[in-house]
Amino acid sequence: MMLQRLSRYSGGRPWVAELITLIVLLLCPVVLPLVGISADIASRILIWGLFGLGFDILFGYTGLLSFGQAAFFGTGGFVSAFLLTQTGIHGVFLALMIGMLVAMAAGVVVGFFTLRRSGIYFAMITLAFAEMFHFLELSPLSAWTGGENGLTGVPMPIVGFDSWHFQISSGWTLYGYIAAFFLVGYIVAHRIVLSPFGQVLTALRDNTPRALATGHSVRKYKLTAFVIAAGYAGVAGGLLGVLQSYMPPDAVAFHTSGQLVMQSIIGGAGTLFGPLVGAALWLGMQDFLQDIPFIAEAWMLILGIVFVILITAFRQGILGAVKQLVMKTEPATAPHATELSAEISRRTHIKGVPDEHPNQDNIPDHFFRTDTPTTKPDLLIVPKSSTSEGIALACRNLTKHYGGIYANEGITLSIPEGQLRGIIGPNGAGKSTFFKMLAGEVVPTEGQIFLHGADITGLGVTAVSQLGMSKSYQINELFSKLTVEQNLAIPVLARLRGEFRTDMLKSLNQVPGLRQQIEATLDLVNLDQRADIPVTELAYGEKRRLEIGLALASAPNVLLLDEPLAGMSPRERADTVQLLKRIRAGRTLIVVEHDMDAMFELAEYISVLQEGRLLAEGTPEEIKNDKRVQDAYLGGIEEA
Amino acid sequence: MSLLEIENINSYYGDSHVLFDLSMQINEHEVVALLGRNGAGKSTTLKSLMGAVKPQNGVIRYDGKDICGLPPYEIAQLGIQLVPEERRIFGSLNVEENLQLAALSEPRAWSLEKIYEYFPRLLERRRSRGTDLSGGEQQMLAIARALIRDARLILLDEPFEGLAPIIVQDLLRVARQLADEGRTIVIVEQNVAAALSIAQRVYIINNGHLVYEGTPAELHAQPEIMHEYLGV
Amino acid sequence: MPSLPLFLSQLFNGLATGLLLSLISAGLTIIYGTLGVLNLAHGALFMVGAYAGFMALQWTGSFVIAIFGGMIGSLLVGLVMERVIVRFYYQRPPEDQILVTFGIGIVITELVRLSFGGISKPVPIPSWGEGITRMGFLFYPNYRIEMMVFVAIALLALYLLLYRTRLGMIVRAGIEDSLMVNMLGINVYRIFLLVFGIGAMTAGFAGIVTSPILAVTPDMGEVFLVQSFVVIVIGGVGSFPGAIIGGIIAGEIVSLTSMFSPAYSQVMLFAVMAVLLAVRPQGLFGIEGRE
Repeated sequence: MMLQRLSRYSGGRPWVAELITLIVLLLCPVVLPLVGISADIASRILIWGLFGLGFDILFGYTGLLSFGQAAFFGTGGFVSAFLLTQTGIHGVFLALMIGMLVAMAAGVVVGFFTLRRSGIYFAMITLAFAEMFHFLELSPLSAWTGGENGLTGVPMPIVGFDSWHFQISSGWTLYGYIAAFFLVGYIVAHRIVLSPFGQVLTALRDNTPRALATGHSVRKYKLTAFVIAAGYAGVAGGLLGVLQSYMPPDAVAFHTSGQLVMQSIIGGAGTLFGPLVGAALWLGMQDFLQDIPFIAEAWMLILGIVFVILITAFRQGILGAVKQLVMKTEPATAPHATELSAEISRRTHIKGVPDEHPNQDNIPDHFFRTDTPTTKPDLLIVPKSSTSEGIALACRNLTKHYGGIYANEGITLSIPEGQLRGIIGPNGAGKSTFFKMLAGEVVPTEGQIFLHGADITGLGVTAVSQLGMSKSYQINELFSKLTVEQNLAIPVLARLRGEFRTDMLKSLNQVPGLRQQIEATLDLVNLDQRADIPVTELAYGEKRRLEIGLALASAPNVLLLDEPLAGMSPRERADTVQLLKRIRAGRTLIVVEHDMDAMFELAEYISVLQEGRLLAEGTPEEIKNDKRVQDAYLGGIEEA
Repeated sequence: MSLLEIENINSYYGDSHVLFDLSMQINEHEVVALLGRNGAGKSTTLKSLMGAVKPQNGVIRYDGKDICGLPPYEIAQLGIQLVPEERRIFGSLNVEENLQLAALSEPRAWSLEKIYEYFPRLLERRRSRGTDLSGGEQQMLAIARALIRDARLILLDEPFEGLAPIIVQDLLRVARQLADEGRTIVIVEQNVAAALSIAQRVYIINNGHLVYEGTPAELHAQPEIMHEYLGV
Repeated sequence: MPSLPLFLSQLFNGLATGLLLSLISAGLTIIYGTLGVLNLAHGALFMVGAYAGFMALQWTGSFVIAIFGGMIGSLLVGLVMERVIVRFYYQRPPEDQILVTFGIGIVITELVRLSFGGISKPVPIPSWGEGITRMGFLFYPNYRIEMMVFVAIALLALYLLLYRTRLGMIVRAGIEDSLMVNMLGINVYRIFLLVFGIGAMTAGFAGIVTSPILAVTPDMGEVFLVQSFVVIVIGGVGSFPGAIIGGIIAGEIVSLTSMFSPAYSQVMLFAVMAVLLAVRPQGLFGIEGRE
């Protein structure tokens, strides 16, 4: 069952879609003339579709809205056209490839600057950079680019070897040449999207901070996605020059980027074919309707209105809507994937599915599994780096100021390997800041942190996670658009592949150990019946368990748990306390918790924070009877 | 008739269901403590009353009028004022501007002088920007913003969070004074002892469900309830 | 090396361009700061101001009335835009807001193109703006000086509105935390509408006062939109002082670079932005971590 599930989400047989694409591309020269679409229009649509494949990886899958793709479209186009018209290079393919590489190099440079910011900044800055390229093309580089005239006389390609070659001419043979590029481009993009690399991209689209925290180098992934998109743009730009025998300067203009964005949205982002569909509508319909007088003039206006309506009401675009329709009607292959069965399991409380009605106390206890099943696959634990002398985590004089406010001051403590340490303190005592510093999310103002004896101060959350310490959050930080299983795959991929790897053409099934680790985690947090469910459909208690599962799945040897019991019913609490007991073996656990009872039951040793400082330390017994601690919790108010 | 009657409201945060058929009444001139564990839905209850979270169904009747679904500014103009957990002082405005802004839409607004009588500390710091205030001063200002609007029903969300005991004592004194003047207060607090010391009635919420209603004395007599739902 | 008079005159030129950029960017930045929406139709509103002014000039022949016509035209378009579409986007992700305002910009531009055609419309320099003034060694067209004064007055008015009025206090508080303003009994949606209108009006004002020295075409706003992005990235997005200083810096960069190499004047602007991003990603007046 597991195999089936994983292969389902890893695309199963990717070549089916690719084969269909090939067949459709082959049928176009036969079918399209019948509906009055010329080879020129079909080629143009494919070029925009190819351009859009890269953009979709960037926007649809990685969530980065760039308004500057024209920069790379133009770079690739002008470099190819320059090589073909002004130098001795006559091989069109060679020139296109060089154009692509130069566009990718430009992508590295532009990406370095633009990816320093996200969201609206990224959109603005990419647009600004594209304008810079436009000005460069128009004026300083006009000796090479032809300035406002562009470059004319781009030759047609010749395919074949020395003895045998074939001169491509305009029309459907040129369409064939361009279609070959599109097909290869599609296969590569499709494989990227299904690869472990592609999974990480979608994760950082959904929740960038969590992707960072699970140990992925978000910057490298974003930059790579940006460079891939630049490469696609570069080839597409080069092909435009070939198609028109002319490289136009407005390929670098803002409206080229804008057209790409609009086509992608109209067709549907995150579908790979969306931009192609958008381009077909844009160019195909325009061609089709150009004889009707008013429509031809108002075509841009019509598209603009359609675009605004789509964004407002059908954000997923044409293909997205189709996809949604198909998914709704298609019966799910795994029986538990249906909403109905989710409803049933909710009602019957199968295996610790949280109980939302604490009054129904008549459910037999055996529904809540507390013992460890014998068949449980082993969950990985990263071996600890040595030199630690038995101390898992220590900090010295840890201090954090926010402006004039001291969130933490001079905290020194050390936690032996294998201990379950509780951190308690009244609200506002600085527990969260303290935890964020330990996890590498916040850089301390002063002081040091040591993991197994090695100084990890200021390394950042990704490196800390890779070193074997991970954190679960007080407020769930899940990958909201992925299923339970896909969620768990993200930290596992970080553990198995390291902080960055470009395994873009591999399938998920080719990552050794991925399946076992996901399965083991699912089992441990009692979510194995819910693996295929999108996280938005989970009940609160299940989301809490998945939250802990995300931290566990990255195989930490030191685990930080920030209020794991927050918001749970007494029954769920008991269940989660059992879970914490189960995961203790081989790990050091540090738990911040409000629930004093759970803490006194679980923790071997407790540190108490108050007003940002360490107030007391001791065994649960000692802490219970400590007068200072009682005062701290009661805020100095005697009970009436 | 109670000043505020809440009937079967259901509130959501994104797609997670936070409040389940919650019902309660608040009488005029009453101090009510709303207790429960972290994440139980106390803050969401207050936000639902203020209109910052819109309950999906149910009725909130204030002074006989259904206010459920009204935008926050209309609810505020009716005399309900939330003093939010994060205090939400405008850091770029100074103390006096924060107060003036709060008073803008209220015809019966108090004078600044009257506010400074309650909080002499704010008079000293009236030219300081919100960002430069200490936690205690921010909390005073947050409460003062509700007072200057002459709010009839004040919703205090964790007013003592992160404050030193001496400041908590100070704020408790202010809260008692307000209660004595006949203002209606709903207080949400982790500091159970402090909340019980000023409340006349207690509600406990657990997992979005109302699980207990009583007086502080009754609650003290049932340690198992305190234990199960509040962890003390 | 360029001579001192040339340098000074370019410096003055830079200030003129800079103030204009400051004004356009200020409109963009207060809309973003208060509403959280980056308005990609801002360039289109600039263009609407020029066309509305052009029409007013055609009817009345008075440039002063044309200025008011331009402001009112873009104000109306802005108000309609906010009421009909933008207000439904306050709760949506920033990407959607960017996309929809981009789409609205196209719709406005194409509507103008359909109504007026793509050929540039002549807006003559008003009679009181003809001629040239000698300022020391510097000869400067009268209208350009007057335009600078107009723009400076508009900036001052905007400053007074933001920092010396109750409305300004609400807007500044709203930039920080619009929900809290709402909870204090103030109808923030009306404030949002007002701010959007003011932002649109500033763009329209800039559009009409520059129309005598520019070609009035449906696409005239695009270049200003892009430059105002650079300005607010330099100054810090959402910061009013940032927009002013950023605008002047941008104007001087373009102007002074063109003294050495006109071809690189625009390129240099983007290069400075890139360097600033590397050194100080939040911009000169930006608050760290605000995305």
